[in-house]
This record gives sequence, structure tokens and C-alpha cells, in this order.
Amino acid sequence: MDGLDVERLLGLALDLAGSMGASYAEARYHALHGHQAGLMDGRVFAAGYEETVGLAVRVIVDGGLGFSATNRLTREGVEEAVRRAVAGARLASGMLRRPVRMAPGRLGRAKYSVSERRPLESLGLEEKLGMLRERVGAAGLEGLGIEIRRLTVFYQELRERKVLATMNGGYIESYVPRVLVGYNITASSGGSVRNRLGMLGWSGGLEGLDEEDLTGSLEDDARSLAVALTRAGRIEPGRMDVVLSPELTGIAVHESIGHPSEADRVLGREAAQAGLSYWSELELGDRLGSEHVTVVDDPTVPGSFGFYLYDDEAVPARPRFLLLEGRVREMLHNRETGAVYGVGSNGAARARDYKSEPIVRMANTFVQPGDHSLEELVEGVRSGVYIRKYMEWNIDDYRWAARYVGLEAYRIRNGRLEEPVRDVVLEITSPEFWGSIDAVGRDLRLYPGFCGKGEPMQAIPVTMGGPSIRLRGVMVR
Amino acid sequence: MTGFEELEALAGEAGRRLHGLAEEFVVLARGVEREMLKLARGEASVVQSWNSIEFGVYVARRDGRLLFTELSTSSPGDAVESVARLVERLEPSPLYAPLPRATGESYSLVDPAIARHLSGEERLDLAHDIELELLGDVAGMASLSRTRLVLLNSHGERLRGDKTAFTGYLRVFRGGRSGQWSWAHTGYDGGRPARRAAQAARELAEECQGLPAERVEPGRYRVLLSPMVAGNLVDELVGMANGASILFGMSFIRPDTIGERVFSEALTIVDAPRDASLPGYSLFDDEGVATRDKAVVRRGVLETVLHNSKTAKAMGAETTGNAGLLMPRPFSIVVEPGDLGSDELLEALGNGVYVTNNWYTRFQSYPEGAFSTVTRDAVFIVRGGRPVACTGRIRIADRLGELFSRVEAAGREAWRLEWWEIPVPSLVPHLLVGEAGITTA
Repeated sequence: MDGLDVERLLGLALDLAGSMGASYAEARYHALHGHQAGLMDGRVFAAGYEETVGLAVRVIVDGGLGFSATNRLTREGVEEAVRRAVAGARLASGMLRRPVRMAPGRLGRAKYSVSERRPLESLGLEEKLGMLRERVGAAGLEGLGIEIRRLTVFYQELRERKVLATMNGGYIESYVPRVLVGYNITASSGGSVRNRLGMLGWSGGLEGLDEEDLTGSLEDDARSLAVALTRAGRIEPGRMDVVLSPELTGIAVHESIGHPSEADRVLGREAAQAGLSYWSELELGDRLGSEHVTVVDDPTVPGSFGFYLYDDEAVPARPRFLLLEGRVREMLHNRETGAVYGVGSNGAARARDYKSEPIVRMANTFVQPGDHSLEELVEGVRSGVYIRKYMEWNIDDYRWAARYVGLEAYRIRNGRLEEPVRDVVLEITSPEFWGSIDAVGRDLRLYPGFCGKGEPMQAIPVTMGGPSIRLRGVMVR
Repeated sequence: MTGFEELEALAGEAGRRLHGLAEEFVVLARGVEREMLKLARGEASVVQSWNSIEFGVYVARRDGRLLFTELSTSSPGDAVESVARLVERLEPSPLYAPLPRATGESYSLVDPAIARHLSGEERLDLAHDIELELLGDVAGMASLSRTRLVLLNSHGERLRGDKTAFTGYLRVFRGGRSGQWSWAHTGYDGGRPARRAAQAARELAEECQGLPAERVEPGRYRVLLSPMVAGNLVDELVGMANGASILFGMSFIRPDTIGERVFSEALTIVDAPRDASLPGYSLFDDEGVATRDKAVVRRGVLETVLHNSKTAKAMGAETTGNAGLLMPRPFSIVVEPGDLGSDELLEALGNGVYVTNNWYTRFQSYPEGAFSTVTRDAVFIVRGGRPVACTGRIRIADRLGELFSRVEAAGREAWRLEWWEIPVPSLVPHLLVGEAGITTA
């Protein structure tokens, strides 16, 4: 790999850590390579390349956890990294009541890679830009009654290569290429100006540019802006039924089920950063949502932005059922939290790059689809609102109360979609949200994103999604 | 150890490879040593350390073709050369501007105590100096770092920077209530910045613990923003007073309002790269241009939009010495203090809400500045100038420009802050806002 004897360097790190008293050690070679570019109104304003290559070492000594990272990929560089990790672990061990330990369990010894039908390395940057520009240029953004003031499009690819070795026999080599295309459309009408951020992302090669409909996404978002800017009025606040699109379901499941299910957050390890979790008050089997709600986090979804087969502690990935028919089924665990709870890891340890410690993360989090069509969901509403797209969202650091503000939304009366309404606010607690769902659609869709957590902040690729869902009798402003 | 000798050698090699391939280039070689103690439940959850070399490379031809590269590797030569060969296959960029001369100066702002700690020569006792044993249930982090920087460019100019930083934040829990505060300094000062932050966090948690709980109904309230909250919202504002944000349609700031009073007269915000107490300190930007302290907002008047040479040319302005590798950026933000002490601020608030920390600020519409942000930790209900109750998590939902036009006063004491929600090191006082929208679930 890159002319380096990576396996030898990893072995050196593990041997040295063991000789220095580590009861656990892992070493990870982690490389990210890829092109980046930005288009502004169809012209390339900047292009670039990212290369992040280095080695991470994590050890447990006397119950303390130490982590170090270096990009000096020499014997001396690796030895120094191990010494720093061990020194850090010893320092931590003096400030502990409960020693850190790793849950036992089966570790992988495997190599895997995501195949690319059109490999990212097979085309030059200028050819990729040509493909991108062709799709952007094909988007019909005129004739909507709005002025498109600015269209910026960002292309980013990251070819991720990892070699992970753990003291107790885990060894994983992996290659996962990912592509992200993000954009911002800023449009105006009359005295109003709005913008819409969009994102497409996948694991695999450039074939994704054909499979993901960038042109169609741009056109659809421009239409949404036109609706918001030219036709939408205000909604009368009140309690009513709400139908949410897969885009809204996705952000809600990520924020109010996925994040609170992270066991390190439940244990308080991220308390000063990403916060705490209302799941700390729940037991397995407790009812949180209605019987229509089953939530899965599954890293193994082929082609997904959050795809992986082994986590960064060499634990095999598998689907995790966070909620099963509305009841709490399991949390997301790494080996540390799996040991605390006595349940073992379920393969949720992820690190952004060589500079990052593996912590508990989501992968692809979604509500399992049901059997309703969107039309059937709407037909069952006498008075309500359908929110199709959002811009503003946030949630408190206990993951208790979230806010979603619609960009494109429509009033529902007597089972029919009627006039558009703008800036519809759904500000709601997590139990009320998931408990008020009485029907789930079959239109499952996943949306890519970068999820932030950790210190230093690690933005990792994930997807979030689900089908359209219907909530009964919730407050809308 | 990442010494200047090594950085100079690697940057020099990159520069040699670029000669002949690029008419204009900048190589930024950065050596970073950092150690971080991360805390949770009053214990050390992990101690992390980093020793890495990072490169930022800008390559351009005078016909406007340009390329940026970010490399985190100790052997950048081949990557630099192959990337430089890409540039001729690109089209001219609408943002190209001739590379300015490196008018900045080299600098060294190194606290020997931090330098000795990171080199292992004489270790500091962070837990002792923060007085961790007094804090009980606490989470957060404390970080010590040293960054060496070498800049060289195609004009044959070369600059060096060398600085240290002591940053962190602590969240103290007391009986289901909490307070959080941060610090950001270029020096260790015996750990005093961390102790002050710990005391502030503890006092907020304990004061909140001693008050009854009360719910806030949605509506419009007089609001006192703590420096932690004001720092986050000012950071968002300065992020929009940025040439790139405006060009990309991601800002409510209109450049044609430069020179006009668009915010409250009580508000003065300075980008202060030459403030030697703040970790953003630098005497040159990523294009080598000399930095200068400048008001973004002076007594409510929009005075400066931050630029590098490229956004400046695109918008018919001059660079403000705020170049990042690609986009303009602030270095350190200073909000001018006022003359009210803490009791006077509460008295001036009268009846309203005192918000001490927030997170997750998100925009419904960047061009309109419509946003909301969620409070966390202690939120006080104030009546008659006295905190009478503590409330749960609520939201401020408003328009950012309008909120800053309703600032009535700033506090006398300012705090040096940096954390998740204040990514740019900032020196910020309390800000009293005459009215802001509050929402709850």
C-alpha cells in the first residue's frame, strides 16, 4: 500500500504497546484521497485534491485509555506514537474510578472492498468536472417565476483505505470509495430571498452520477423554492395531523432515535460535546414509539454513503434494531460501551480519519417501510399539513425536543393536498413524535449526510431516511 | 518533534517541484503537536495526542487556472507535483486574482510552559491546575497545542509562524442542572483560564440548582446572552460578513450596506488577528498578506466584509488580509465590552430570560438570516433584575440581523472563548437584547 509495509508498521505498534504494558492495543493505517471541485453558476471556481494519510494507535494501560496519531510512517514515527498513547493511557488511569475495558467477542480477519463500475481513479478531474457540468447544465431552472441568483455545486470524492490490526487478533483491510455532490440554490421573488441546500452521496464509483439524479434534484429543489417564494402563505397554528416525507422522516430518525441510542452518549462520555440522551431513562423493552415504528441502523446497505462491513475495532457490522414495533430493542455499542452493559459490541465504532479515535457512530439509520402510499396517508387526514422539505432543524442536547421548519409544505383538507404553506414549524418532543405515528408509507428513501460528534469533531458519512409517515394530532405553528 | 528545520525542508522540496509547473504558488507547511485530556463523569475518558505535518498548497497560472490541495502527510512531494500537473487541464476560474506579495511578518508567540510540556521536558499537571477534584461531576476537555507554520511562495518570499494555545471547556453537573464555560488563550498562565471557566460553569450549575423550575411560554422576551451564547451568534454573523458567503448566496449581509448602520449602536465587532492573547493570532494570512485588526461592525455600522485577494477582486474590493487557503476567514473575534457589571446587566434585563449556553444554530434561510438555536445548561428566568427560577431547554428563534439590531448593551467583562459552537477564538462580553423570539416544544 503506497510502497509502505503497513502490516509491518502495525505489527511493530502492537508489539511495542504490549511490551510497554498495554492490556489492549489497536493500530490503524487510515488513508483518504480524492478530488474536490466547486462550480459557481456553471463555472469551475476552484478545484483541489485532498490526501490524508497516517496511523492511529489506541491502547489501554492500567484501565486508562490513550490515543495518538501520527503521519510519520517510519519506525521512529510509529514508536513515538505508541509511547505517546501509552503515556496518555497512564495519565488517564490516574483519573478513573471505573477502568476501561473492551468487551470480548468475535473479531474479523478479512479484506473487503466496494467495487466501482466506473472507478474514481479511471477519470481525470477535468473529465469528472465535465460529467458534473453536463448534469448541472441540463437542469431546467427557468420559467418558475423566480430569479435564480446563485447556483453553487460542490463535488467531493474520498477513497478510503484502512488497515486495522488489534492485539487480540483482529485484522481488517478495506477500501471504500465515496462520492458526495452538494449544492446551494439561492433564489428570489419580489422582496424575498431563499436558499435550498441539497446533497447526493453514495459509496462506489462514478456510476453513481448516472444512478443519482442530480439534474432532477436541482429542478425539484428549484420548484420547491418557487412554491415557497411565490405561492405559499402562513398556516394557522394549531393541533393537527401531519404527513412527513422521507426527507423529514430521515432527519427525525437520525436526531431523535439514532443519536440518543448511542451508548457512549447514554453513559455521559460525550456530555460536554454532543450532549446526553433521554435513553438513559429507558430500559430495553420500554415503549417509545407506536407499534408502527421500527428503526434500524444498518451499515451493510450496499451502495450507501454510510457503508462498512467491519467497524474500526474489527467487529463485524450487522443491522441494529434500535426500535422494534415501537419498543427499545438495542443501543449502538463499541467494545468499550458493550463491556459496560455486558452485551458486547454491535459494530458501531467509527473514526473519521487517522487523527480520530473510534467512537460510537451511526451508519445508515432509517424507519422500516410499511404498506401505505403517500396518497393513502394523505387521504386519511381531515385537517392537517404535509411537509415535503425542510431547511432549519435542531434538537436539544438531551435529544428530547426537536424543531423542523418546512421549506415546502401543503395544507391537507379532507384527504386532499391544497394550498402551499411556508415556514411550518413542528417543534415536538421525541416521545410525542414517535408515539403519534399511526401509519407508515412504503416509499423508503435514504439521504446522505455528514454527522458530527467527538472531540476533535469528526464528521462521518451516514445516511438517514425512511418512508413517508403520518403523525396524529400534533402541534403545528 | 516537528521542528522548523524539517518543515522548511519539506516546504522547500514542494516549492522546488512546483517551479516550472506553476507560475504562482503558495506552500503552507504546518507542524502540529497537541495533547488533549477529555473528561466525562469527573473521570478521564481518554487522553489523546497528535503529532502531524499538514500542507496546504495553492497553485495557479496567470490565465486564471487554479487549484488547492490539502495534504496531511509527511511526504508531500509526489502529490504536490502530480496535482500541479492537473492545473493546466482546468479552465480559468472566475475567482482568480494575481497572487499578492507576502507583506506579513514572521512571528513567534510561544509559551515556554506549553512548549516544555509538549516536548516532554517538563510536564504540566492539568488535572491539578484545573482543580478537577473540586468539580465533582464534570465533562469537557483541556487541550495544549503548538503550531509551527512555514509559508513560501512563487515570489520567493518566506514567512514563519510559531504559537501555542491552551483551550478547552467544562460542563459541571449539579443535581440534574448544569453550567458550561470555555476558555481560549495563547498561554497557560498556571492553568488560570481553565480555573476561571470551571468556576463560571460551577456557579451557573449551583445557582440553577438552588432555584425552582419554571416553564417559559413561547413568545417574545428581553434576553441576556452570556458570552458563550453571544460568541456563537457573533461567529455566525462574522461568517456571513465574508466575501465567499456573500458570493455563494449564503449570507444576509449586503455589501452595498457597507458604511450604513444596520445593527445596534451598542455593537462593535472586530476581527483581531493581532490580539496576542487569542489563539487565532497571526501576522500573515494564507496568502502571506499582512493581517490587521479591523472592525467588521463599528457602533452598529457595517464596516468590513472579510476578503482574500480572490473574493476581493470578484467583489471590487481589496483583500483584508483574511485569506484561508481557499476562502476568507476571521482569525480571532473581539466584541467590544460595554460598561455594565453582572448585577447591572440583570437589573437592565429587568424581566426576561438569561441564556448561558446554546448549540445547534441552524438557518431556515441564509439570505434572510432566519435561524433558531437551542439553549443548554442553565437558563434563568429573571424578574425585577433577579434570577427567580431556572427553566429547561428552549429556543431562540429570530432573524440574526434583527436580533443584533436590538442589542441594548454589552457587559463590562469579556471572556476568551473557543469550543464546538465558537470555532473562532473570541473575546466576548454579555449582550443584552431588547427582544428575541423564544419557542418551546
